[in-house]
Amino acid sequence: MSGIKERHKDKESTDMRRLLLTLLICMAVVPAAKASEEARVSGRFLLTDMNGRTVTDEMYRGRIRLVTFGYTFCPDICPTVLNTLSVVLDHLGADRTKVATLFISVDPERDTPAHLKEYLNAFPDITGLSGTPEQVAAAARNFKVRYERQKPEGDDSRAYAVDHSASIYIMDREGNFLAKMPHMSAPDRVADRVRSYLAPVKAGE
Amino acid sequence: MKRRAFILASLSLGGALAARPALAAPRGQRGLVIHDQPRPVAAIDIRDAESRPAGLDTLKGKPVLLNLWASWCMPCVAELPALDRLKPALDAQGVALVALSLDRSGKVAVANTFARLGIKNLDIRTDENRVAAEKLDAPALPVTLLIDAQGREVARFIGAAEWDGVPAARLLDTLAAGTRPTPDMAPPPVRMGTAP
Repeated sequence: MSGIKERHKDKESTDMRRLLLTLLICMAVVPAAKASEEARVSGRFLLTDMNGRTVTDEMYRGRIRLVTFGYTFCPDICPTVLNTLSVVLDHLGADRTKVATLFISVDPERDTPAHLKEYLNAFPDITGLSGTPEQVAAAARNFKVRYERQKPEGDDSRAYAVDHSASIYIMDREGNFLAKMPHMSAPDRVADRVRSYLAPVKAGE
Repeated sequence: MKRRAFILASLSLGGALAARPALAAPRGQRGLVIHDQPRPVAAIDIRDAESRPAGLDTLKGKPVLLNLWASWCMPCVAELPALDRLKPALDAQGVALVALSLDRSGKVAVANTFARLGIKNLDIRTDENRVAAEKLDAPALPVTLLIDAQGREVARFIGAAEWDGVPAARLLDTLAAGTRPTPDMAPPPVRMGTAP
């Protein structure tokens, strides 16, 4: 499984149960389910970018897309996937202009466009997207990404974690699914994969 | 036998599975992880504030507490002050504390964060080639490696911790002494609520 659970577990039993469930999925469910699930991945979305603009996947037409889901308020550990993607872009060099790299927040309440913009200062060339909870849910559904907002810990109602999967999706120039890579993929491997999709450009494109 | 039990259990739990997001693989673990055997640590081109080489090889013979952090990682930033307070005590014990930033903008991000937090003791250390996360197998930050005097990783703590507390002191004593840590030495995790 490539998902990362973004949250500290207080209860060992819950942790163990989840670990067991993970094993179960890996052993019994995934091989059959994976192929069909990926076949159904659609890269459609209607969201708001970090400049406050309404955007759809259509607006990135003509570019390969690297897409990942996450949120910025990770309370205990933060996936290094954005770091990975920024290294991928470095590896791509001049080809990076042919790629749209999108970070879709599964926490639109706290990840406002302004906050995303500030946060992503650390990752030039990665575009942050958010939207209404319904829009984010629809985008995640299309990508077959699951996320789950957890109950806040303590009294602060804004101090909550969001469990989510952190895979890297590669979509073609039309926004169709090409590949899903684990979030801990080596950056050069992701870059190689992207290049392999960049190579065969049809005449006139 | 076991496998059969798993599959049966998975059938009966099918409903629960469908409702859950992708779950923690073993990589998703956190807290203190003590390795069965010490592991080699990949060489990383660490630089100091003047971009001079400051890799672990320059600390040969010393145990090292290697903390990986980034300015965009709030729990990482949250534990830096505790590491800063800890550093003089570690120095006195002969343990090197290296807080390695994975920030793309290198020392600029580090200097800004240190200034904002009032960091006094930590040195600026950057991951020049931006390979530390991959080479040190860190799918998430922060992560802190306990590296023995022979340069081998003995244990790691995944997530932010109270590094200047009593439990951490016991853990770090083992690092200084070159003895094996035990699970009860895990420092309490630090949780971030909203933005600091």
